[in-house]
Amino acid sequence: MDTFIYSLRKFFQSIPLIFGVTLISFVLMVYFGPDKTYDLLGKNPTQQQIEEVHHQLGYDQPFLTRYFIFFKEIITFDFGYSDSTGEKVSSIFARTIPVSLAVQLPILISGNIISIILALIAAYFRGKMIDKSVMFVAVIGMSVSYLIIVILFQIIFCSSYGLNIFPVQGWEVESFTSYLKYVTVPVLASVFLSIGYNTRFYRAVIVEEITKDHVRTARAFGTHPLKLLFKNILKNSLIPIMTRIIITLPFIIIAGSIVLESYFSIPGIGLVLYDAILTGDLPIIKAAVTWTAMIYVLSLILTDIMYTVVDPRVTLK
Amino acid sequence: MNEVIQNSTNKQTHTYGESLWSKALRKLRKDTIGIVAFFVVLIYLGIAVGVCLGFFGSSWDRFVTDGYSGMSRQHIFGTNLNGQDIFERALYGTKTAFQIGFIVAIVATFLGGILGAVAGFFSGKIPDVLITWFYGVIDSIPFYLFVAALAVALADNPYAMHIAMISTFWTSTCRIIRGEVIKIKHLEYIEAARAIGVSYTKIIFKHIIPNTIHILLVQSTILFVTAIKSEVILSFLNLGVKEGVSWGLMLAEAAQEVPAGNFNNFIAASGFMLILVLAFNTFSDALQDALDPKKVS
Amino acid sequence: MQKKLFLLFIFCTISTSAFAIKVFKYSVEGTPTSLDPVQSSTKYQNRIVSAICDTLYDYKYLKIPYELKPNLAAALPKISKDGLTYTIQIKKGVFFSDDPAFKGGKGRELTAEDFVYSIKRHFDPKTLPRGAWLWQGRIKGIDDWKTAGSDYKKQVEGLKAIDKYTIQISLVKPYPQLVYTLTKGYSAIVAKEVVEKYGPEISIHPVGSGPWVLGSFNNQKAVLLKNKKYREEIFDLKNEGYDEKIHGFTGIKSLQGKKLPIVDQIEINFMENFSMRWISFTKGSEIQFGFIPEQQFNNVIASRNPLSLNKEYAQKYYFLPQTEFAFRYLNFNMDDPKIGYNKDKELEKKNKALRIAIHKAWDWPQYIKTFFDDLGEAYPGIISPGIDGYDPTLSKEYITHDPEGAKKILKDNGWTAANLPDITYSMVSDIRQNQMYDQFRGWLITIGYPSSKIKKQTFASFGDYSKAVKSRKTMTIAMAWGLDFPDSENVLQLFYGPNSSPGSNNSNYNNPEYNALYEKASTMQPSKERSEIYKKMHKLLLEDSVTIAGFSRTDLWVWHKNVILYPVENVLGNYFKYVDIK
Repeated sequence: MDTFIYSLRKFFQSIPLIFGVTLISFVLMVYFGPDKTYDLLGKNPTQQQIEEVHHQLGYDQPFLTRYFIFFKEIITFDFGYSDSTGEKVSSIFARTIPVSLAVQLPILISGNIISIILALIAAYFRGKMIDKSVMFVAVIGMSVSYLIIVILFQIIFCSSYGLNIFPVQGWEVESFTSYLKYVTVPVLASVFLSIGYNTRFYRAVIVEEITKDHVRTARAFGTHPLKLLFKNILKNSLIPIMTRIIITLPFIIIAGSIVLESYFSIPGIGLVLYDAILTGDLPIIKAAVTWTAMIYVLSLILTDIMYTVVDPRVTLK
Repeated sequence: MNEVIQNSTNKQTHTYGESLWSKALRKLRKDTIGIVAFFVVLIYLGIAVGVCLGFFGSSWDRFVTDGYSGMSRQHIFGTNLNGQDIFERALYGTKTAFQIGFIVAIVATFLGGILGAVAGFFSGKIPDVLITWFYGVIDSIPFYLFVAALAVALADNPYAMHIAMISTFWTSTCRIIRGEVIKIKHLEYIEAARAIGVSYTKIIFKHIIPNTIHILLVQSTILFVTAIKSEVILSFLNLGVKEGVSWGLMLAEAAQEVPAGNFNNFIAASGFMLILVLAFNTFSDALQDALDPKKVS
Repeated sequence: MQKKLFLLFIFCTISTSAFAIKVFKYSVEGTPTSLDPVQSSTKYQNRIVSAICDTLYDYKYLKIPYELKPNLAAALPKISKDGLTYTIQIKKGVFFSDDPAFKGGKGRELTAEDFVYSIKRHFDPKTLPRGAWLWQGRIKGIDDWKTAGSDYKKQVEGLKAIDKYTIQISLVKPYPQLVYTLTKGYSAIVAKEVVEKYGPEISIHPVGSGPWVLGSFNNQKAVLLKNKKYREEIFDLKNEGYDEKIHGFTGIKSLQGKKLPIVDQIEINFMENFSMRWISFTKGSEIQFGFIPEQQFNNVIASRNPLSLNKEYAQKYYFLPQTEFAFRYLNFNMDDPKIGYNKDKELEKKNKALRIAIHKAWDWPQYIKTFFDDLGEAYPGIISPGIDGYDPTLSKEYITHDPEGAKKILKDNGWTAANLPDITYSMVSDIRQNQMYDQFRGWLITIGYPSSKIKKQTFASFGDYSKAVKSRKTMTIAMAWGLDFPDSENVLQLFYGPNSSPGSNNSNYNNPEYNALYEKASTMQPSKERSEIYKKMHKLLLEDSVTIAGFSRTDLWVWHKNVILYPVENVLGNYFKYVDIK
């Protein structure tokens, strides 16, 4: 119950944040964003037709009216229809978010698990050759550009210059095997990159734990290394690790990954959103910005709650 | 880079940390890999300066062959679709990269540093609330969306991409500096300065910010690398560099050519970039190790 | 358990082979956004829309030069002597495909009233229509109907359903291109019930009486399923213009007498990345239709003249080089006083010299070599060989790279490196455009243009670029125009003064002599006299050097050998229903 009240209060406290996000993005889009009108014209339009389209899009209304309408949409969670395809925004999201998640979740999960394992190994052999080589791989992972990796993995796995065992691009997922077929290369490429940053971060966290007195003492008393690992080290490192994971969630859910989706032609939310921004499809952008901000706030609250679960010393105030 | 360190070392002498800087320098000297990385970065810097002065890379836009040509003695990495020398373009790209890296890193660190110091100094009061609210807002807009929106908004501005990066990158520095300032603002001499009525501006700029220089330095090296890496993605998404040529543009071309078995652009751009970023990251690590007295490694 | 799985497996294999359906996996290089007929402005949209919703007329599948045939209409229209009244009978007993929008979910019969309704939608701003320009100011009373508030209950004088199966269109002035407009997706017929039920979502849920119904649609792919209720249409070689010499290799002969559509399903993959498209094509299990991207040209092509494939590829694929039904150009914005018209007549003359110099700097062979596999040739101006008004006697100087001549013209007209204006090349920011700009820049440098005066202006999206062009803010306009119908009127209107921006005349060329000729020719039926007027107009255009044109790309279509088709990849083509899979 406490948790519930706490969350509720936290949520109301973050209203200024959501307000700020929506306002800033709306100002950006309305005053500086692309004018959708010109995408919707025929090949030989007249000035009158341009004005008609303006009117249909609501561009001729004053800013405050438009922002008020946006506000109403936020409260009702109904963002209407896309300006370019005419499809309902909610159904676009319902169609594309699962696809993005189907790609991003495996990346998130396997990327983090592998990183934690590598970090543990590196931390355990701190200062030794193994540690150094793991960290070297991590630095390479950090240094390589996403685009380079994506191109490289595509050459290796999908082209006749390499193994040629996966489809180049696309997303025709009907069964689990076809899912694996399309998801493998994008996931491999992203995991490789995420290992770079994550391993370093986790290693630092774990090293800090290992060097703490209670761990040293336990070690000196001959506690079983596995027990030590799970009970003393992992449990305490869990907070920073989970925080890091949860905070990335909203961007995964809503933003997908633009590069990945455009390069592999995955019909996810990232691509839709990117197109929307470039063409000025306001209903989609409005919905995306609102959702991202809300989920962001929710994940912040979630991490707070988690602190209390993992570490009873922390209380929610 | 060397100069920057030297300068800041001099400035530091009269405050608290001479030992920090000389210790850092001593630590750094012992870090062979870090030194090597530093010299690699210097070589790149030399290339960038050379391009600026017109020693080489200036003919990146000339048509030297009739369409694609392979690697040869004349054209180390061959030529591209328009018959331009890829090696020259990669050299010119070094300049572009440094330009982006420097502008973004310096301005964003500066911005983040000042705002962070102000927020930290007034923690809990209105300026702090405003600043934390502001970076909270920016952080909760997905990066590429924010950049794309800004790039569209500033359509024709050659610095659209730089501005977009700066306006998102400052937040991390701001967060860190704010935390650090909250820690140090209770140091005796700052409390003393406040007590004798030294103006807030003076305290912030004279006493607080100089004490965070080591963090700012490390932050700027991180941002430098982030900026170069982001440029590649943004250029691929057609939101990037508008004047001249960059590694990102070359890689975007490569994305079209690689499936056809033409790897020249890819090898040149990714090779140049990988080495620089690798060196810079390693150097940045060495710097962090040297500057962070508490760091356990 | 094992046994069960095994049985299941057997069952699956049997069922797939017993009910194997024919699927054609097709690909295009562009992504349609909306499938609402009134918004079907691109060829990608047009092709899908007109496959789902019927049009009154269509082009014969294989006939070149293009020839019309009745599609949903029972026969070609009866045209009154003055050319102002068109009477069109439509086929009886044609039904819309089943959809929950109809009473009881069963598609009802399509009537003349549906056609009238579908055209009226172009004059209702709420539908965000894009095709009104084809009929505005031409069909009697249609513009007034719009001004009066687009009330569908009200009649339009010139657009009537006389009875259930008869349409009558009355015109303000003769419009010989009218029948062409009735082949376009814009005029495809939808039912009122569907529009009312789906509202703006008709764009992803079009329902018509065409050979296909929409299975699924997103920004990667559209799936069309055979319309089981499609009216009886039998493939007839002779009627479609089959010629053994040209089409023999395709196997189309075997289609004689087949009921259309033939395959059960069409998968349309939208693939903007050419290299990926090629890789997908050559996999064998993925797309069956594509083209050879320029990066693959040397790997795939064995000889240039005549074009042929390498043995390895020739065994697996059919191949057809085809000239696109479009042309590429670089227009000068005549409204920009730095390059076009100027109050100072002396400067205006100098500007013309500058335009001619840039024209001469343009190196078509180099352009074609770099970006178009060195295939095809430029032709002077905007009228391509093969359409009415093409003049083979036109001087080649309009397409000759002549840097010395350019330098001379600049010098003779008092242009020096110091007084030349800044040239701005406007473009959508992308890699290909950037390479084209680089090339353009190179040419200007060769005629002595100071490189600091050559600039580019980039736009993040086509919409923004289009906005700048339509508000006359760009100095140059590099674009392509796809012909809407096989008549030079469609390209010559691009330079008609009253069509200036925001209209289709983005050069804002406004020459009274040209305008008068256009007005005269636009109401004329095809004739020798009209061709002469076309030629005259074309000449004016070239002399004023408003546009650097033109070139039509050669597309190298390839398709798997188990597919029977003949590509008609322009806006006039809608050949899915004729495709068969062996």
